[in-house]
Amino acid sequence: MSAGTLAKPAMRGLLGKRLRFHLAVAFTLSLAAAAGFKFSVTEPRKQAYAEFYKNYDAMKEFEAMREAGVFQSVRPKGQ
Amino acid sequence: MAHPSQLGFQDAASPVMEELLHFHDHTLMIVFLISTLVLYIIVAMVSTKLTNKYVLDSQEIEIVWTVLPAVILILIALPSLRILYLMDEINDPHLTIKAMGHQWYWSYEYTDYEDLGFDSYMIPTQDLAPGQFRLLEADHRMVVPMESPIRVLVSAEDVLHSWAVPALGIKMDAVPGRLNQTAFITSRPGVYYGQCSEICGANHSFMPIVVEAVPLEHFENWSSLMLEES
Repeated sequence: MSAGTLAKPAMRGLLGKRLRFHLAVAFTLSLAAAAGFKFSVTEPRKQAYAEFYKNYDAMKEFEAMREAGVFQSVRPKGQ
Repeated sequence: MAHPSQLGFQDAASPVMEELLHFHDHTLMIVFLISTLVLYIIVAMVSTKLTNKYVLDSQEIEIVWTVLPAVILILIALPSLRILYLMDEINDPHLTIKAMGHQWYWSYEYTDYEDLGFDSYMIPTQDLAPGQFRLLEADHRMVVPMESPIRVLVSAEDVLHSWAVPALGIKMDAVPGRLNQTAFITSRPGVYYGQCSEICGANHSFMPIVVEAVPLEHFENWSSLMLEES
C-alpha cells in the first residue's frame, strides 16, 4: 500500500450495527421511562396515601365535614 | 368526586380502590415501557436507507420476543389476581343493603333489623342549592356506617342498570331477576358519588348514586328518623 490511501470503509453489516446500537438504546430508554414513571408517580402516590392515613382522625374529619354542612343525614351542631 | 380537567381516578375511599389505583400505576408503567420501546424502534427503522434483503430467520430473536411478553403478562397477571381474590374474601358484613334500579331512580332497602326502604331520585338542576353538584345529587342518599364492611345486593325492577361508585371502586350490574352481590368498606367519612353505568333509557344519565359514610351512632339516628318518617 502506498502512503496516503484511505482505509477501506466498512461495507457490510451496516444495518446490523445500527440495529444493535439502537436496540440497546431503545431498551435503555424504555427502562428509564418506566423507572421515571415509577419514581415520579407510583411511589409518591403510595407515600401520599400512607401519609394521609398515618395520623388520620376520622371523627375529627367527620366533625369538620358536618359543620361545613356536607352531610344530609347529620346537620351541623347548631341546627 | 370527579373534578374538571381530571385525568386519573378519583381519590380512593376504600381499601380495594387503593389497591386498584396502585395496580393501575403498575400496569401503566408497563404500558409506557412497551410504548417507548416500540416508538423508538419504529423511528429508528423508518429513518434509515440501509436495508438487508437476506434475513430469513433468527431463533434468538424469536425466543426473546416470545419470552419477554410472556414474562410481562405474568408481571401484570399476578397483582391482578391478588386483587381479584382480595375482593372475593368473606368479609362478614355488618349491614346488608339492597340497591334496586328502576327507570329512572334507585331504591334502597335496609331490612336487616327493620323494614326501611326509600327511593333516591336525582335533584333536578333547577332545584339545586348553591354548592350542590349538577346531575350528581340525590334527594335521599344511601347512608352507611363508616369503616364498617357493607354488603350491597344489586338488582333491577325493569331494565338493566349498573350501580357504580368510582371512589369506592364499585361497579355492579343491576339485572332484573338476578341478585348481584358486592361489598365495600369506607376508609373515611364523606360523601361519594356515582352514576348509573348501564344504558337504561331516556334518563340513564339522570339517576345518580350518592353514598354517605358517617359514624355508626349517626347512622343509627338517621335510620330511626327515616323509619319514623316512612
